[in-house]
Amino acid sequence: MVRFKIRRYDGKKSYWQSFEVPARRGMTVLEALYYIKENYDSSLAFRASCRMGICGSCAMKINDKPRLACETQVLTLGNTVKVEPLDNFKVIKDLITEFDGFFEKHKAVKPYLIRKDDNYAEPKELLQSPEELNEYYVFTLCIKCGACYSVCPAAATLDECLGPAAMTAAYRFCADSRDEGQKERYEIASSSNGVWRCHLAMECSEVCPKNVEPAKAVQLLRRKTAFSILKSLLRW
Amino acid sequence: MESTKSVMEPVAWIFQMLTGLVMILLVTLHFYVTHMTSHEALKYAEVASRVAQPEFKALYAALLLVVSFHAFNGLRAILLDTTAGMRKKGAVSALTMLAFLLAFIYGLYLLFSI
Repeated sequence: MVRFKIRRYDGKKSYWQSFEVPARRGMTVLEALYYIKENYDSSLAFRASCRMGICGSCAMKINDKPRLACETQVLTLGNTVKVEPLDNFKVIKDLITEFDGFFEKHKAVKPYLIRKDDNYAEPKELLQSPEELNEYYVFTLCIKCGACYSVCPAAATLDECLGPAAMTAAYRFCADSRDEGQKERYEIASSSNGVWRCHLAMECSEVCPKNVEPAKAVQLLRRKTAFSILKSLLRW
Repeated sequence: MESTKSVMEPVAWIFQMLTGLVMILLVTLHFYVTHMTSHEALKYAEVASRVAQPEFKALYAALLLVVSFHAFNGLRAILLDTTAGMRKKGAVSALTMLAFLLAFIYGLYLLFSI
């Protein structure tokens, strides 16, 4: 039996509740949460969807570290498993957090290809070499689970901070050889809430379940943004 | 979502890095002179005679400039990391840059009045 200590929130007060779960080999934290919901307390609220580390819905703090519940095996965590909602997000109920602000920030960096020759009537193929793809490929793996944002010290102290996921998305498109919207995104990233707020704690890269390396993306974006603004200042 | 382009931020970031690099050189030189050249190097008379030399005056004026900028710009960045600081962004930048100028000017006054 493994003891699950879960941080609950009912909209008014926050409290801890414990459950005993018969863990078996290969059982994930997400399966254990479903076990608790089905056998002990059907009011337990958590988000989950794909159950295979693709959708990013089940990110939560497990034994003090943000992880995907569907990819974390119970028996690797010891006899007691502590489960909490992600930090830096407003809790709605139990393990469910408010993601609206997070997605607003993501949308704000224009995470799509911007082309001057967009013509939907006559679409054309945009060619790219493998080397050009490798420039940004690792940053495309982000599943927007919010784990990076939950450990970011800048996001913890500044509500409007863009956060690692949004800045990684900005860099992913800026580094794409097919994109022509770098200038627009550099302006967004260079706002006071953007890349300048990162202090390279690198916790975002440490906890990313897909090994995206948001800290690296933020540094690359910061360098590009700084030189882009300097160039425009010097009319270079 | 605020997304106004900031010119001060990239310039401040670049100068923060440059002053950090220059500080490595100047602080190393300062420690070398005060701790590695002689056992008497920190005595008042030694310090006064050293600082009276134009080359040391220039070295310490440069050190004062980079240290005071680095410190107050760092303080500015720390204050802007908070929601309260960001709400008064203009005031935070103005006050920290003013404090930098005052520290630099007062330090220069002390340096050149010896």
